[in-house]
Amino acid sequence: MPSSGLLQRIWRARTIYLFISPFFILFAIFQFFPLVWSFYMSFHEWNGLGPMEPIGLQNYRFLLRDEVFHTALGNTVIYWLANGLLILPLALLLANFLAMPHLAGRRLMRSVMFLPYVTATVAVGLIFNMIFDFNSGLVNSLLNAVGLPSVPWLTSVEISKLPVIFLNVWRLTPWYTLILLSGLQGMNPELHEAATVDGAGPVQRFFSITIPVLMPILFFCFITLTIDSFRIFTEPYILTQGGPGNSSLSIVQYLYLNGFRIFKLGLASAIGYALTFILLIVSAAQIVLLLRQSGLTEVN
Amino acid sequence: MARRNFTPGRLAAYIVLIVWCILAIFPIFWMASTSFKPVTEGFGGLGSLLPQNPTLNNYVAVSRLLPLARNILNSVTVATVGTILTVFLCSLAGMAFAKYEFPGKNALFFLLLATMMVPPEAGVVPVFAIMRALGWINNLLSLIIPTAATAIGIFYMRQYISGFPNEVMEQARLDGCGEFRIYWQIVVPVVAPALAAWASIAFIARWNDFFWPLIFMRSKEMFTLMVAISTLPVSEGLSTPWPVIMAGTTISVLPLFVIYFLLQGYQKEGLALGAVRG
Repeated sequence: MPSSGLLQRIWRARTIYLFISPFFILFAIFQFFPLVWSFYMSFHEWNGLGPMEPIGLQNYRFLLRDEVFHTALGNTVIYWLANGLLILPLALLLANFLAMPHLAGRRLMRSVMFLPYVTATVAVGLIFNMIFDFNSGLVNSLLNAVGLPSVPWLTSVEISKLPVIFLNVWRLTPWYTLILLSGLQGMNPELHEAATVDGAGPVQRFFSITIPVLMPILFFCFITLTIDSFRIFTEPYILTQGGPGNSSLSIVQYLYLNGFRIFKLGLASAIGYALTFILLIVSAAQIVLLLRQSGLTEVN
Repeated sequence: MARRNFTPGRLAAYIVLIVWCILAIFPIFWMASTSFKPVTEGFGGLGSLLPQNPTLNNYVAVSRLLPLARNILNSVTVATVGTILTVFLCSLAGMAFAKYEFPGKNALFFLLLATMMVPPEAGVVPVFAIMRALGWINNLLSLIIPTAATAIGIFYMRQYISGFPNEVMEQARLDGCGEFRIYWQIVVPVVAPALAAWASIAFIARWNDFFWPLIFMRSKEMFTLMVAISTLPVSEGLSTPWPVIMAGTTISVLPLFVIYFLLQGYQKEGLALGAVRG
């Protein structure tokens, strides 16, 4: 009987199930159940204390015409695009240089470069807050020193997103540099040698060999960067408090404000679902990638 | 091979790398330097690169504004206990997925990967309610337990342990070792470098975490260092002087820098990269 055979196999592997159970138990309690609950909550109005009031799709309808949500979504998309367009090319360039043969001081430079990633976002936020201050900040005094006017980095609706982007680039580039560097070092050097023999210059080799070989890793980096960008919270929270006038507000920040400042829990849940939905579209690609990399498809 | 020393390309590479290194270290240096400047000293321009009259007063001021010892203890507890727990549980599960066959393995692993796609922030309101029901609001358990086993950690450990020779495990089994003893006495010592690499990533993430402690910790005494530091700018009335705030941030980043340099030997290029390379 196949089913008793299956039960037997399950019973024999009981220790192994025990080994993997903590993750699935924690996932069920702290992620899956909350997700189901917040789906339910997103169709209600609730302040956390009184009774929940069912209001159907109103929270979602509200989001569709809520200007603050649109601003937060737009800002987050800008953070995402800026991260993708700045961090990955920069990391690729730095990794390429770091992987150069006979590079003096490679170890030291790698260590120094990685420091921003070790520095807490809260701390960097405060440091940048000081450096970009309109009156007493270092950046403006440097600008003044070369005869340029002060720039209202943190207090102008037009450019308040810039310091947030700078912070992201500064803190996250090292992480991606390191990942790409390990990819470069795992590359077969013969590929480059063969191309050199064929007369390809360094730039040509970079585009026709390095980039294609690194493509899976680059793709992986892009997906993780996308997910991190859409989850951005601490940077604008510390640096600009989302202001001025919501001009640097992110989606998760808006979720936090609704959930923990003005206690519109139903609306906060709906925002959470909007975020999940956006990320799910991006993540579908990641599932495919990770499956291919983990070799799971070969097991099947 | 002849060393081709200074082609224009190499020169450009050195310039870019050195400029980036300076950009990387400058804000950190500026923070540390400012934290030693008397609050009356100008700190805006490059002219005040180093404090003229270095003082420790800002550090004293921070320790008056915040229950600093308590905040540090909270952060150390969360980061240390959380890291040990997550490295243990992730490597155990990673070994299970790497080295054993059991019914439902592929489906469970697929589920594990799929969970990485869901932003944890999305369910923050119900999670808060759950923590309240558990009595874990203002309790460090709310920061330690939910991330005690993470999908990415298990994925990374699985990738690394896959390379462990099956024969060694088989031999141990013939010698009468139970599966947990195989893990503890045979697998763990060999994969220790991967554990250390993952531990340093996990420690950084827990030490620097802000979103969750901001939500779960509701009193000054229970704040982690990051949350405590974030309250500095408005802690007494409106404007805490920048040198005092910088003393706070310096305290908050220093432990990680020390650990980072101590663990250099373990870090290699690797870290989460094994996961990327597969």
